[in-house]
Amino acid sequence: MNPFPMVLADLRALRWTAPAIVLLVALAIATGVAIGAQERALRRGSAGAANDFDLIIGAPGSQTQLLMSAVYLQPDALPLVDGRLLNTLFKDERVAQAAAIAFGDVSRGYPIVGTTAAFAGRWGRIEPSEGRLFAAEGEAVIGADVLYRMSDTIVPSHGVAGHAARPGEADAEEDGHRHEGHGYTVVGRLPRLGSPWDRAILVPIESVWEVHGLGNGHASDAAKSDSPFWKQGSAGSGPAGAEDRIGPPFEGRRVPGVPAIVVKPKSVAGAYQLRTQYRQGGTMAFFPAEVLVSLYGALGDIRDILVVASALNTVLILASVLLLLLAVAGLRRRRYAVLRALGAPRSYVMLVIWLGQVALITLGCLIGLGLGALATKAVSGLVAERTGLLLSPAIGFGEVLPALGLALIGSLFALLPAALSYREPVVAGLRG
Amino acid sequence: MPASPSPEPQAGRLTLERLALDHRDADNRPFRLFEMPELTLQSGARLGVSGPSGCGKSSLLHLVAGLLRPSQGRVLWNGSVVSELAEAGRDRWRRETIGFVFQDFHLIPELDIAANIALPARFSAWRLGAAGQERAAALARRMGLPDPRRRAALLSRGEQQRVAIARALFARPALILADEPTASLDAAHAAGVADLLLEAAAESGATLICATHDPALLARFDRRVDLTQTVQRRAA
Repeated sequence: MNPFPMVLADLRALRWTAPAIVLLVALAIATGVAIGAQERALRRGSAGAANDFDLIIGAPGSQTQLLMSAVYLQPDALPLVDGRLLNTLFKDERVAQAAAIAFGDVSRGYPIVGTTAAFAGRWGRIEPSEGRLFAAEGEAVIGADVLYRMSDTIVPSHGVAGHAARPGEADAEEDGHRHEGHGYTVVGRLPRLGSPWDRAILVPIESVWEVHGLGNGHASDAAKSDSPFWKQGSAGSGPAGAEDRIGPPFEGRRVPGVPAIVVKPKSVAGAYQLRTQYRQGGTMAFFPAEVLVSLYGALGDIRDILVVASALNTVLILASVLLLLLAVAGLRRRRYAVLRALGAPRSYVMLVIWLGQVALITLGCLIGLGLGALATKAVSGLVAERTGLLLSPAIGFGEVLPALGLALIGSLFALLPAALSYREPVVAGLRG
Repeated sequence: MPASPSPEPQAGRLTLERLALDHRDADNRPFRLFEMPELTLQSGARLGVSGPSGCGKSSLLHLVAGLLRPSQGRVLWNGSVVSELAEAGRDRWRRETIGFVFQDFHLIPELDIAANIALPARFSAWRLGAAGQERAAALARRMGLPDPRRRAALLSRGEQQRVAIARALFARPALILADEPTASLDAAHAAGVADLLLEAAAESGATLICATHDPALLARFDRRVDLTQTVQRRAA
């Protein structure tokens, strides 16, 4: 037997109702798929952005706030730790690398982050895609998404806590807080990291200190304090002299404070020892993963609520679609009775009814997976635009399985109208 | 009973053995709808069934087709008892032996003429095959329907009934049952459809049983049975 000509005729008889049913099921599926995939992508993307931040040390306060500021560059007014701690860390044999991270200034909405050249190169993990890393004060290396060109001069403005700047745009707030007389020259561009750091302007930490009149943390401090470094920098001429040496150690008499220090420990055991040690005595130390796990916990709870809500939503839609199809099968009693009178076995009519419904529900589930993937992509694009966090959402087994399960359950329930037709006496159907 | 429809209609002798059918009235009391004397139709015979509405003309056709079970009596086809087969057996016998024409045509409006004509083939075979397609096209031409790709929904009532007759003839049935085939048509179309039905039955050598209250159509049958006269008692 070949039920498909009748199945197609039945679907065509539904006219616009058929695509509407498919769309309803698809939207229900898409919601669930998007919630699941988006949450996972957000988790992966944010964990990926914290990759090079093994251990973070800062002044006591909120770990979350420090994490958001240092890793995700959502700046906040943070208490500072003594800059001399950097020197202690460099000497510590458990420490492979350490770098200060100082933020607060902006230019055209891009955060200006003071750090060491080593951390700008992510401990040697990445090479600039263009130019080189900064090697002297007054030089800057920019993230992949920063809209400055090589050799441009960047004038920093003092950031205002709580003022959310739009990347790429200078606004009145920024214009009003410009550090006049200071500037950086772009000497390099970093490859894409997929994190908010793609929108950052990285400069030597010494320059950030100097711009704020804190010296440069080196022994040459006194000698240099009167000559604006940026004139040398913007001229871009000649190799940096000995007195312009940047980077650790900071042997100056006075080393300015920093909001955050990133430490790359040599071993796991060392990492835990360091964390324990710097949890007391006026500092706070933590692994980003600790904070992320609790954030993910909250995120997961929200996800669970949304998933349950969307599952209920899906079940309701499926139930109403099945009721609708049951009613349609009832209206078609006569049509199916005629098939029987023409010699169709009961199984043929049952198959026609069942396959028609399965086609609608399954198609809806498949389109729903596609729509869900599209929605996830769109939301990820929004997240990337707002935070710089690169999300690579993927529809995984966890999303496909519920959709398939729903198609299966729908197919099982579609047996009901099919089975009712099986019991229907032909003569009653022929009378209408 | 052959396993598959043979290309030529098998000759068949239909015997209606003292058939009777009981119904229940509005108060759920049983009453006898009709009772028939024993009747045997040889291959190619034509029987006209008459009587007013509600006298059981359609029910008699349903009994013969195995869609209803008689309250009394049996239906025999070539000597084997059809009316006592299980439902699946009656479905199969009906598919292989009977072509049905309804008062209201009952085409599938979403399918075209050719697909409607060949619909009975779908109940048993996956593919229609070139022979089946050619037969559907030939039947459409025979019925005066030149364009077999037209959708049934677009046809006039007369055209629809001609498609229905072609559909009934498609599987080369030995027995054609027509239930008021002209009652939904205006006079001009009714005459044409009646001509086609009688001619097609004669050409294929099939036995034709036609329920009608149209005296003009009834007059063209050599054997007639009036169901009103067969009822012995109406009330319980």
